[in-house]
Amino acid sequence: MIPARIFVLLGLIWASLGLAFRLRAAGCGSRDEYAPRVGSATRAIWYNLTVGLWPGRKESARRHPAEFAAGLLLHVGVLLTLAGVGLLLAWPVLAEGFLPAIRPVLPLSLTAGLALFLRRIFSRTLRAFSTPDDYLAILATCGLLAAGMLAAGAPCWQIVLLLYAGLVAIYFPLGKLRHAVFFFLARAEYGGRLGYRGVYPPQATETECSSDG
Amino acid sequence: MTDDLGHEACSSAASADRSGAIRAARAVLAQVARQPLAIHLEACVRCGLCGPSCLFYRTQPEPANLPGVKAAKVADLYRRYHTWLGRTLPRLIGAKSLTVEALDELADAAFGRCTGCGRCGLHCSVGLDVAGVIRVGRSVLAAAGAVPDGLRRVVDNQLQTGNQMAIPRDEFLSTAQWLSEELKQETGCDSAGIPVDQPGRRILYLVNPREVKFFPLSLLAAAGVFHAAGESWTLSSQIYDVTNYGFFAADDHATAELVGRILDQADRLKVQQIILSECGHGFHALRWEGPRQLRKPYPLPVRSILELLNEYLVRRTLRVDPSRNAQPVTLHDPCNLVRWGGIVEPQRRVLRRVVQHFVEMTPNRHDNFCCGGGGGLLSMSEYGDRRIAAGAIKAEQIRATGAKIVATPCHNCADQLLEISKHYKLGVEIRSVVELVYSALLAPGREG
Repeated sequence: MIPARIFVLLGLIWASLGLAFRLRAAGCGSRDEYAPRVGSATRAIWYNLTVGLWPGRKESARRHPAEFAAGLLLHVGVLLTLAGVGLLLAWPVLAEGFLPAIRPVLPLSLTAGLALFLRRIFSRTLRAFSTPDDYLAILATCGLLAAGMLAAGAPCWQIVLLLYAGLVAIYFPLGKLRHAVFFFLARAEYGGRLGYRGVYPPQATETECSSDG
Repeated sequence: MTDDLGHEACSSAASADRSGAIRAARAVLAQVARQPLAIHLEACVRCGLCGPSCLFYRTQPEPANLPGVKAAKVADLYRRYHTWLGRTLPRLIGAKSLTVEALDELADAAFGRCTGCGRCGLHCSVGLDVAGVIRVGRSVLAAAGAVPDGLRRVVDNQLQTGNQMAIPRDEFLSTAQWLSEELKQETGCDSAGIPVDQPGRRILYLVNPREVKFFPLSLLAAAGVFHAAGESWTLSSQIYDVTNYGFFAADDHATAELVGRILDQADRLKVQQIILSECGHGFHALRWEGPRQLRKPYPLPVRSILELLNEYLVRRTLRVDPSRNAQPVTLHDPCNLVRWGGIVEPQRRVLRRVVQHFVEMTPNRHDNFCCGGGGGLLSMSEYGDRRIAAGAIKAEQIRATGAKIVATPCHNCADQLLEISKHYKLGVEIRSVVELVYSALLAPGREG
C-alpha cells in the first residue's frame, strides 16, 4: 500500500503544480477594473456559487432535469470516492468504515455517468463538438467510481483504487477533468465581474406593474 | 504547393499577408492566455445544455448555433497553442491550428451567430462567460483583418469622420439649428435650444448619429427634457457619437481611440460629467470597457441618461402626467445596458412615472432575450436572415404583453425592433424612454 500511497501523492503534487502553473499564467483569475464600482463583487460571487447554481435560477438545469440529476449524482459519487481516497491516504482506519458506507451511492453514480457517456455518443448536437478528451474524461470518471465500488466491497481492491486515483490525478491538469477546479474559479470570476457592475445578484423579475405617477 | 496556413500559395505577397494575419491572431490568443478569461476558455465541459438560453439556437436549432459550439471555435484555437496537450496531442482535445479556413468558420460563428448578449453565460451549467469567449474570437478576427466588411466600414467611418454615419459637421450643425427653432416654438421659450460647443456646462451629452440623421425627434425630446429640468448641457460638434463600433468589432485599439476622443472633448469643453443617450453598447463600451482599455479611471463620471431622468423625477425637477402616455407600454432590456451594464431599475422607475400602464416582458431584466440586432449584426447584411429569424423570440415576448408601445433605451435595438415589428406584424410603436418622458411632460406651453 505504501508505494501506492506515494504514487497518489506524487499524482496530487503533479496535479496541483499543473493547475497552479495555469492559474498563475491567467493572473490567478483576478481582473483589473478602473471604472467605479456599482455593486458588491463579494455578494455576487457568493450568489453565483450558491443560489445561482439551482434550477430555479439556471435555465440549463431547469430545462434539462434528467441531465441535471445525472450530473449531480455523478459528481456526488466522485466526491465521495475521492473522500475515500483521501482517507486511505491519511486515516486508513477511518476509510475502512467510510468506504462501505458510501457503497450504496456509487452504483447510482456509475449508472448516471454511463448514461451521460451514452448521451454524448447518441446526441447529434453533442457529437458535433465532442472531442476524444470528452469521452476519455467521462470513462475515467466512471472507472474511478467502479474502483471505488470494488474497494468499498473488499479491502483488497483498495490498492487498485489508489493506483487508479493516482493515474486520474496525472491526467487531471491536462484534460477536461480540470473543470473540477475551473468550475469554481470561472463562476467566481464571472460572478464577481457582474457583481462589480451591479448586475448580480439579480433582482426578482416582476411581470406587471401599474403607473405610480 | 500548400503553405502553412493550409491554402495553395498563389503568390508570395498573398502568402505573406496571410502569415501576418495568422501571427496577429496568435498574438491575441497569447495575450488572452495571461488574462482571467483563459479560465473560461479551458473550462467548457461541452455538456450542450446551453441551447435554450440562446436566441439563435432556439429559433434555428442547428448545432452551429449552440453557444458551446460557437465558443469551441475559439477555445479549440486557443488550446492548440496554449495547453500542453494542444501542442503535443491536439486531436485528443480537438485543438485546431489557426488557418484561413478556421478564421472563416470563426467569423461565421462569432459575428454571424452571436450578438454577444451574454444570456448563455448566466445559464451555463459551469458558469462560463460564453459571450466573453466568443468575443475573444472577434478579437482574433479583428487582429487578422477578418472583420466582416459591413462592420469594418462603420468602424472606419467612425474613426475617420468622428461618427459612425459619416455625417458632415455642417449637416449636424444645421440639424441642431432647426431642432432648436422647433423647440423654441414648442415651448414658447427663447432660451430653449440645443447648445453646441458651449464650454463650462455641467453635462456633455452624447447622442446616436441615428438621432441626428433619421430620428431627430429623439434628440428634440432629450433637449426638451433638459430644458424643462433647467439642465446645463452641451453637445460637441466634433465628437458627439455615443456608439463605439470598435467595441462591436472587438478592435481594442479602435475602441480605446474612440473612448479617448470623447474624453478629450469633455476636457476641451470643461464639463463635469458625460451623459450618454440611450445606447446599449455605447454604455457598455464607455462606462465599463473604456477605463479598462485605457488602463486608468476617468477624470469625470460617465452615466446613462436613464439615471439622470430617474433623478429628475425622484427630485420632482420634472412634472409629468402619465395619462399623456395612455397606451400600454412594455420595455425591452438591451443586453449591453442591462445584463452587461447594470442599468436595470432606472428605466423602470421612469416608465412607471410617465406611462399609465406599464407591462413587463417575460423574462425581463438580466434574463431578458436579446432583440437579435446586437453585436453589430445590423451592419452585417450577409446575416440579415438569421437576425430576423432570431428576432422571433422577442416578437413573441412583445405580443404576449399586449402592449402597443415598446420602449427601448437603445437605438440599435430600436432599429431591430422596428424590423421585427414589421416582419412579425406586431403593429407596435417603438419609442425611446426619453421620448415617453417628453410626451408626459407638464412644462410651460405644454399643459392642457
